[in-house]
Amino acid sequence: MRKKLSVFVLAVLFLSTFLPAAFRKEDIKVHKLDNGLKILLYEDHNIPQVALYTFFRVGSRNERPGLTGVSHFIEHMMFNGTKKIGPGEFDRKMEFSGGANNAYTGDDLTAYTDWFPPAALEAMIEMEADRMQGLIFEPKVFESERGVVASERRMGVENNNDSILSENVRATAIMAHPYHWDVIGWMSDILSWKRDEVMNYYRTFYSPNNAVLIAIGDFEAAKALELIKKYFKGIPAGPPPPAVTTVEPPQMGPKQVLVRKEAQTPSFNLVYHAPNCQSPDFYPLSILDLVLLNGESSRLYKRLVRDEQLALSVYGGMSETIDPLLFTIYVKPRPGVDLNRLEAVIEEELGKIKKEGISEKEREKALNMIRSGFYFGLQTNAGKANQLGSTEVLYGSYEKLFTQMDNYAAVKREQVQEAAKKYLTDDNKTVGKLIPQGGAK
Amino acid sequence: MKRFIAATILAVLFLAAPFVGEGAFKLPAPEKLVLKNGLTLFYLKNADYPLLSFRMLVRGAGASQEPAELEGIASLTAELMQKGTAVRNAEAIAEAVDFMGARFDISASDENSSVMAESLSEHFPKLMEIAADCLLNPSFKEDEFTKERSKRIDNIKAIKDNPGSAVRPYFLKAYFGAHPMGHLASGTESSLKKMTVVQVKDFHKKYYRPERAIAAVVGNIEKEKLVEMLEATLGKWTGPGPAASLAAVPAFPKPKGRKLVLVDKPDATQAYWILGAPGYPLGDPLTPQADVMNTLFGGRFTSWLSTELRIKRGLTYGAGSRFQAWASDGLFVANSYTKNDKIGEMLDIVFDVLKKARQEGFAAAEVESSRNYLEGQFPQRLETNASKAGTYAMLAFYNLGFEYYDKYLAKVRSVVPAEVKDTAAKLLPETDFVLVVVGKAADIKKQLEKFGTWQEKKITDPDF
Repeated sequence: MRKKLSVFVLAVLFLSTFLPAAFRKEDIKVHKLDNGLKILLYEDHNIPQVALYTFFRVGSRNERPGLTGVSHFIEHMMFNGTKKIGPGEFDRKMEFSGGANNAYTGDDLTAYTDWFPPAALEAMIEMEADRMQGLIFEPKVFESERGVVASERRMGVENNNDSILSENVRATAIMAHPYHWDVIGWMSDILSWKRDEVMNYYRTFYSPNNAVLIAIGDFEAAKALELIKKYFKGIPAGPPPPAVTTVEPPQMGPKQVLVRKEAQTPSFNLVYHAPNCQSPDFYPLSILDLVLLNGESSRLYKRLVRDEQLALSVYGGMSETIDPLLFTIYVKPRPGVDLNRLEAVIEEELGKIKKEGISEKEREKALNMIRSGFYFGLQTNAGKANQLGSTEVLYGSYEKLFTQMDNYAAVKREQVQEAAKKYLTDDNKTVGKLIPQGGAK
Repeated sequence: MKRFIAATILAVLFLAAPFVGEGAFKLPAPEKLVLKNGLTLFYLKNADYPLLSFRMLVRGAGASQEPAELEGIASLTAELMQKGTAVRNAEAIAEAVDFMGARFDISASDENSSVMAESLSEHFPKLMEIAADCLLNPSFKEDEFTKERSKRIDNIKAIKDNPGSAVRPYFLKAYFGAHPMGHLASGTESSLKKMTVVQVKDFHKKYYRPERAIAAVVGNIEKEKLVEMLEATLGKWTGPGPAASLAAVPAFPKPKGRKLVLVDKPDATQAYWILGAPGYPLGDPLTPQADVMNTLFGGRFTSWLSTELRIKRGLTYGAGSRFQAWASDGLFVANSYTKNDKIGEMLDIVFDVLKKARQEGFAAAEVESSRNYLEGQFPQRLETNASKAGTYAMLAFYNLGFEYYDKYLAKVRSVVPAEVKDTAAKLLPETDFVLVVVGKAADIKKQLEKFGTWQEKKITDPDF
């Protein structure tokens, strides 16, 4: 999960000014069970549907060498059988009652996302409670699902040059912290995970005290809470999962990684170590991200794609993460472009920011992007559930969602300049280049 | 991600509906408004959020009207309309749209061009002013044309670097040949190199006309204010002279026997394929039965295709099938991918599953599950302003009526297993189909021989 941060967050300032009755913090019902499960409920009767989202505080951040990718693998196994519900039954039952679901795993969290008609609420709550601790990891299914994830890696990484490069760049920039590897994990780990180790990992992280349950949609909150209590309260709390203690040491000079690969087009990355989402520096850097990379009026799009025609696209920016990750600048260069020239042009643009800062108009533009993105995202039950859940996990409380815009609006232009000077430095950077070989002329 | 059924390859046009009881969820009927210049508009107020969504479809401004030698001009025209007008250059348009945090795009598909604009209510008048300016007064500057064309030529190379994204254009070419529905929105290297900015101007002049447009607005605005705003912008739109009639889309090609195409991509570690066969036109009475059938065959996670290829055997991350429908005809397409040494085994299974579905149909409990699923998943398709506006425009464009989905869902609820079996027998291919595989020929060719004779291409050859 590499989330575009802009669609995420907001503030009382704007909320109170513009929000009609819809979606106020006061209307969210909050409850915590004795076993530590936090529950957020919000009634929205716009359509006859419920979004039930379960977030676990576990992601590739919690893994270790040999077990990379295992958080994501467990996400897959969550559909593959418990003591009560056989492999595949979760999906069959859900679809029979008109529901659909998906799930995703990120660096810091794993989310299970169900969308279904109101009549299926009890059945879905029962099945979510069941798989929180009941997985059996049947060996044959385990092996089959290993093949699925290997195929997913082949699709997402091996046959996607941009991903091959960004995986290399991440692993070069981040030396010690588990963010060193991508969520999907290394292929050799995928092919050799052991069942008992995977089960142990599951038992460590899948407990009610390590989860947040969110229901948004067409139900009565009091009734929903009764149902959640009925099925979840018997699940025992687990010991607190081990903390991630590794801290990425400061980088002490520029790094470079070259990938030679059969291709017709190159790939290019430039990344810097960046603060986590709870750092005060997160907000100025997020505004800088929008100014540099978001939209055809952004500085790097204008310079690289339009003016100099060095690139087909630019993307990247800040990531909302629990521990410090990267400020990324990903570029899809035109075929045949001199990648050193590309790098020099980006450096020049970053130099301007460090020297002169951003304009007041750019600051306002970034705030408008954040504000409209927030509302676009709020239109659906799924959007609301996702925002509440990730804010709870990443920022420590869903309530932060309703004050985020204050944090953005409070950023002064000088702070953006200061943050650029502090983080976008030569000693803090890693450059990655995928250089096409053979094949294409 | 646990799934998604190759969403990049098979974009979903029509899904279907839940089990909340008869008539519990309907598409709200919009109000019809007609501007003084004849432009028809459908409007629904939604005051829940300070947002507004606009969608407009322009008949004929899509790839199906392109002359063969101008493949890609519809999409190029749509893009260049956003790159400068009589009073705004490309930078000014981008700057204004971005400043509002708005969404704005003009894009051409097969049978129409689509204009979408969405923003906070407070910015909407400005956004519509810009959208109308792009629509009415594009400047089509030579340098913008040259830039965009060269970008598109290079982008085709980037598409070919990823076998998962390359398989779709190769399939369209193999299936449709020179038929206009096989035109790639991107154009091809050959067609783009020959195109001129004058041809782009002509395409715009000929096909962008108010009498061929249908628009919809959903969101937080009063009717009077909306009409006033639109009269001042889109209301100024007139077509130059009488409209030329649109070319009829020729009958879709019908494959006879197996047409097999292998595209060699020597660095691929996985082989990607699409299989296609005739489907049915948009609004065809078969649609509900076909959706119930396809949901079970390849349209959802527990479908037969996904069960056999992914869930039981772990051969792939994604496998699926769907019907894609246009005004005059449609397609059935299935797709998946697997590592090089498994492609022969995978395709054997696909043919077995197709055969089983055709011969045996689906059990009553499966059909019930499919009906429930289609109905249960329906409401969220109409949850946002943008999805409602898009649906109004689409239903009006294809003349299906705003009660289309009520009838559709009513029929879905009543589909019985015998109908599903008939539909499978009729629509799932047996002997006549097109199958395209993109992969490493050296590793997969031997496995493919048993399926017939393959036409071979190299990924580095020009075009598709």
